[in-house]
Amino acid sequence: MPSVSQNFRVKVLFFGRLKEILGRGEDSMEIADGTSIENLFAQYVTRIPELARYRASLVASRNQEFASWSTALRGGDEIAFLPPVSGG
Amino acid sequence: MTPPEPLERSGPAMNGSSSGLDDDIFQLVSSPIDPSAYISKIRGAQDGAIVTFDGFVRNESHGRRTLYLDYEAYEPMALAKIREIGAHIRSNFPIHCVAIVHRLGRLQIGETSVFIAVSAPHRSAAFDACRFAIDTLKRTVPIWKKEYFEDGAIWAEGELPPMPAATPQAKPAS
Repeated sequence: MPSVSQNFRVKVLFFGRLKEILGRGEDSMEIADGTSIENLFAQYVTRIPELARYRASLVASRNQEFASWSTALRGGDEIAFLPPVSGG
Repeated sequence: MTPPEPLERSGPAMNGSSSGLDDDIFQLVSSPIDPSAYISKIRGAQDGAIVTFDGFVRNESHGRRTLYLDYEAYEPMALAKIREIGAHIRSNFPIHCVAIVHRLGRLQIGETSVFIAVSAPHRSAAFDACRFAIDTLKRTVPIWKKEYFEDGAIWAEGELPPMPAATPQAKPAS
């Protein structure tokens, strides 16, 4: 049988100006097996090109821990794209 | 000692977001912060000092008159990062208790946005721990503020949290 690549869903969160650009803070995305956080962000850039200019100033988190852009995602993961933080 | 009761003036923490490591206090709140309430909670008979940091809303930013600020957070992660700061302080400084509370939502000029208090037998540890806490919070806790002016609003210039190095151990989903 030919191998079929598995798709799964992840929860994606946006904060600060990203949330304003998207018009929402939370999304659910179906992605292919092996998708990295970088790939996931690129899918949003395809939909909303304006996001591209923020890529260099973002960090990402996976399940509420900072994560590198090369991190491979799993079904059910919660990914967030975080602009520079300005609490305090 | 009993765990801290929720502080009356803090209102219900958003998200029930209060937890104690010993008697430490870590909270995200939506209503005004009363520093004195936290100070009395962490003050023990064995202490000789409490150092506090009271961060509040300034009336200007880069020369523009500020009207008010809106704070938002990735709440569960922000609270987890605040707890990590508390745990780090506890294992690196000889202190008694630490309280770290951050307010979210709309804040007017002069209102406290972040309050940190550290009690310790001796002042040096309390100063060092308090300084570490606010500096680390500003770099690593996912909270954002939007500044409103008479002629517009901007997201404050922030700091980029340190990113983990690329993770060679990242396993493909199986």
